[in-house]
Amino acid sequence: MDTPLYVGIDLGTTNSAAAVFDGERVSVIRNAQGATVTPSVVRIDKQGRITVGTRARRFLEQDSANTAAEFKRLMGTGKAIEFPANSSAKKPEELSAEVLKALRQDITDQLGVQIERAVISVPALFELPQSAATSEAARLAGFSRVELLQEPIASALAAGWRADDDGGGTWLVFDLGGGTFDASLLETRDGLLRVVGHDGDNFLGGRDFDWTITEHLASQLSVVPRRNNPEHAAALRALRLAAEDAKIELSRGDRAQVTLAQPLSIDGQDVDVDLELTRATVERLCTPLVDRALDVCLRLLSGNGLGPGRLAKLVLVGGPTVMPMVRQRVAARLESTIAEGHDPMTLVAQGAALYAATASLDGRAASVAVPAGRQVWLQYPAVSADLTPHVVGKFVGDDPPAKIKLVRNDGAWSSTEATVGPDGTFLTTVTLLPRRASTFEIEARAKGGELVAVTPSQLTIVQGLTIGDPPLSRTLGVALANGHVQVYLERGAPLPARRTFTHHTIETVAKGSSDSVLRIPIVQGELSQAELCRLVGTLDIGGDVVKDTVPTGSAVEVTIELDRGGRLSARALIPAIGQVFEHVAHLLVPDASPEVLDAAIRDLRRQLMDLRSDAFRHQLGHVIEKLDRIEARLSEAERDIDAAHGGDADAAQRARRALLDVDATMAEADLSRKWPELDQNARHVAISASSTVGEHGTDAERALLQEVLSAMEKARREKDAAELERQMRLASRLSRAAFHRTSEAWEYYFEDAASEISKMKDLPKAQQLVTEGKAARAAGNTPELRRVVNALWQLLPEDSEARKKGFDSGVR
Amino acid sequence: MLEDNPFFVLGLPADTSRIEIEREAQKLLGMLELGFADTKTYQTPLGARPRTPELVRAAVAALRDPYRRLIAELWARHAPAPTTAERATDPAEPSHPGLRRSLGWGP
Repeated sequence: MDTPLYVGIDLGTTNSAAAVFDGERVSVIRNAQGATVTPSVVRIDKQGRITVGTRARRFLEQDSANTAAEFKRLMGTGKAIEFPANSSAKKPEELSAEVLKALRQDITDQLGVQIERAVISVPALFELPQSAATSEAARLAGFSRVELLQEPIASALAAGWRADDDGGGTWLVFDLGGGTFDASLLETRDGLLRVVGHDGDNFLGGRDFDWTITEHLASQLSVVPRRNNPEHAAALRALRLAAEDAKIELSRGDRAQVTLAQPLSIDGQDVDVDLELTRATVERLCTPLVDRALDVCLRLLSGNGLGPGRLAKLVLVGGPTVMPMVRQRVAARLESTIAEGHDPMTLVAQGAALYAATASLDGRAASVAVPAGRQVWLQYPAVSADLTPHVVGKFVGDDPPAKIKLVRNDGAWSSTEATVGPDGTFLTTVTLLPRRASTFEIEARAKGGELVAVTPSQLTIVQGLTIGDPPLSRTLGVALANGHVQVYLERGAPLPARRTFTHHTIETVAKGSSDSVLRIPIVQGELSQAELCRLVGTLDIGGDVVKDTVPTGSAVEVTIELDRGGRLSARALIPAIGQVFEHVAHLLVPDASPEVLDAAIRDLRRQLMDLRSDAFRHQLGHVIEKLDRIEARLSEAERDIDAAHGGDADAAQRARRALLDVDATMAEADLSRKWPELDQNARHVAISASSTVGEHGTDAERALLQEVLSAMEKARREKDAAELERQMRLASRLSRAAFHRTSEAWEYYFEDAASEISKMKDLPKAQQLVTEGKAARAAGNTPELRRVVNALWQLLPEDSEARKKGFDSGVR
Repeated sequence: MLEDNPFFVLGLPADTSRIEIEREAQKLLGMLELGFADTKTYQTPLGARPRTPELVRAAVAALRDPYRRLIAELWARHAPAPTTAERATDPAEPSHPGLRRSLGWGP
């Protein structure tokens, strides 16, 4: 079979789906039951037999102890899920691997092809350990290569692909999944899809709809089951499954009967369940949740200068969006028409399959073909928005053919003859058929004009909507010993990405000593203080692994790399000893015991109280608003912690993430509290940068500074602390660049460094450097003076308090 | 801002259309992958610089964003003509707090 097969998988919290794209059409794969979605549920029985999907879901009620669901939320936690019947335990990634295996088998059954490569979608705000666990699940399921793709990008690609018009405009993808909500603002222009902005709520999904309905039903029973009581868990589970079924039924009808065949056992009593649920009740219960999602959308729109009614298109994705009430309310409040013809349950899988084509990730196992004729390496886009893309090639071996021509196999077009260079390289362009796959035969001719057989003999390019490289969702950097962050990759950087910076050690790492460790903390976040960012991994270099002692001030070249799916790897080279270290300790998502959560929420409440009284004292309205939102989030987290006490591990993880989120928002609120100080610093930076750039800058630097100053002004008006900090960094960079051009810059730095000589770690060396510096200054030798200044800076001690805030970083 | 200006990285003038930018980047990525000798460096006003696939991808991403494109255009239009001279020394990245203080930022 010559047609490529691109595979996309939506590995969902509640349901999973797979789709394939053959260059022309996207098809959704049906499972053995004929359904396009497979419940993400796994059961292991006494004999160790594994059941996945609908058949496993049936056991959620009657054999809940041995049936696992919603394990996606526990990915990356390392928490094992027990299956007592078989006395076994499985990690969440192993259970996800079972779902992937089932989907992989469905593809083989339907298409007769063994799949080895695929694109798997992940939530936009997945943390790095969760992404790593997803890749691991794919490996366990037998995939040799996978790429991860953010869910909103997948659904946007699928929705955009089917659009017949390319009229451009901005559109919104409203993705309400089982556990998370994502809103993405997109723009299509010239066949290229661009993510303009993204927002979301990691703690809002169909699951919340189900619990709200479940709690309503529970409140009407003669004995009310409670989520914080582990003994009521089975009763609540049964009620929740019934609530979920009723919710689906009410998408079509006005009334549904909630009846359980067996009475529930609550506190030793048999409680019969026979209740009526109306659509109006469900709508009343769920409206606040839908409004929460809509508030996120409106915030996203206004952040991008748009209001309701300004969207060219509105696409709904995810199970809960099937509810008529959700559709009506979303369309009404966003004043836009919902794009029809998209299946909200499989759109993500379809987009992932289309993306696999963009990434040239053919799902089929690579065939070992015996090359016939001259072998040629080709580079071309598998999917192109451009109607006339380039094809670049290189013949392997000596004496390449002289000319090459590409002939489209509909016979209606062929390229001009391109000359092959003496090194075997050539460059040509092809003309594609719009919105479909075009296959080209490669015709190579020798100097004498005779045809030469080549391998491969043809290539296929699909013309259609493409998306650029996926953007990095959060800024990534290394925490330094001074508590600041050296940014490696900015938010929005296209993936894959790699960057190297040279740091210097602040302590000696003694060979053979297991106590001395050089720690390089890798953090993610948008603020320049390390303590306000999230630690995502560490690269530890211990004395027991170094070949030789690494003295203080040694250079360390750190390279951080992220692949297209956002998987992190890092490498440190210490040139002095010629050794490379690559083992990054990836952090697991920490365990969340209810007791730890209780302590954390108490602490946050205390901080909140302090911040609030402070905000009232200083009449900071914007901070008070922010704190009100935090208050609401804490109350929600409290409900989840309650459920965690009742043994719900998923609720515990949800609460953990909510608390981390609150912690970060609180840090931002704290930053806002320090607004007067920040504001004053911003003024200083603006004045200093204006004077330095005005005096020493180039025309371009002056023009750019104007842009930066306007952005700073906007951030000040909007009291956006994080943005103001970012713009201040830019202004400082400009100022520094201009200042460095002056002859007195290094003299100034030298005097400043020399004045701190008494604090330096190696006094004799520092004195020697100061002598050298004075000589260089007298001789007007700026490069030498610069070397001396850099060496002096290395000798300054780090503040231990700052170092602690930099996650004990051993580098500067 | 000068040495990694997206227009210099792609070797294109500042008024290039979006589709041309995409086309050129796709070509450069292919040529870099196959080791075409003449794509390995690009010219900037500060001299020739090594071109990598990461730089090309970052350049395209920057030019897709209207705001970042505006800044890149500004720099490319006002910059002196590219020179072919090699870089003399590496610019240092000073990170000392004294520097921040001197620029009026920080305690």
